[in-house]
Amino acid sequence: MTAPRPPDDGTRKSSFREQVEPEIEVLLRVALTITSNQADAEDLVQETLLRAYRAIDRFDGRHPRAWLLTILRNTNANLHRRQRPGTIGDWELLRTARPAFGRAELPSAEDSFVDHQLHADLDAAVRALDPRFRAALILVDVHELSYSEAAAVMGVPVGTVMSRLSRARDRVRTSLRFSPLTRGDLP
Amino acid sequence: MTGTLRQMLTCHWSARRIQRYLDADPAARLTPGEISRLEQHLATCEKCTQVADEHRVLHRALVLWSGGTAVDPRSVDRVRDFLSTINDEDTA
Repeated sequence: MTAPRPPDDGTRKSSFREQVEPEIEVLLRVALTITSNQADAEDLVQETLLRAYRAIDRFDGRHPRAWLLTILRNTNANLHRRQRPGTIGDWELLRTARPAFGRAELPSAEDSFVDHQLHADLDAAVRALDPRFRAALILVDVHELSYSEAAAVMGVPVGTVMSRLSRARDRVRTSLRFSPLTRGDLP
Repeated sequence: MTGTLRQMLTCHWSARRIQRYLDADPAARLTPGEISRLEQHLATCEKCTQVADEHRVLHRALVLWSGGTAVDPRSVDRVRDFLSTINDEDTA
């Protein structure tokens, strides 16, 4: 009986590309949330991919998105440490996090209604949140990450994500109590 | 009196699970028993049903708010090109 042969270089590269390519857009979205700047987000994602490529031999092939998001978070923390030593806490990285605006396609009439009616109220309610709660809300509800993926970005346990998310949602929901959101005007 | 107290306790129990029920996240799924109990409660409790509806609408509003994606497609292309460069340079 012979031991399984390690994957050759070509297979390794092909596997890396297959796992990473579908995640580029979500990486950019999260990076944009963290950096609030398109160019910085791109730089952060490129640096993340470089580090991921160097570490591919240590990746078990499961949950590539969570793996990449963890690298992205650590890369961003390292970059900040270099720039401003000791001033950036884990969740502080997301202190300016805000929902990303912009739309690739024309909105439906219903979407337009939601946008116009809720935009200001929702914006104010989300911005009023504690940064830790806001980060959980944006990562899970806006970027649609799973709890585990959000935990990877925030560098906290899944239970902490759930707790912060729950508080964030309850606070936003309460803030919007008199908006169309809770008056039943929305389908 | 006992019925009211029981109702309050069930509302409290449900409130702690509504978001997990709606998210159905693999990291924190409710058990089939919890789902069944929660659904039974939602079928009869107007207040908790309203809370669940508000969470649904809030989530939908937040998803729409993001506009699907705010990332410039050219950024995606550039990063994709970069990915190719990593492979190519390593091969060279």
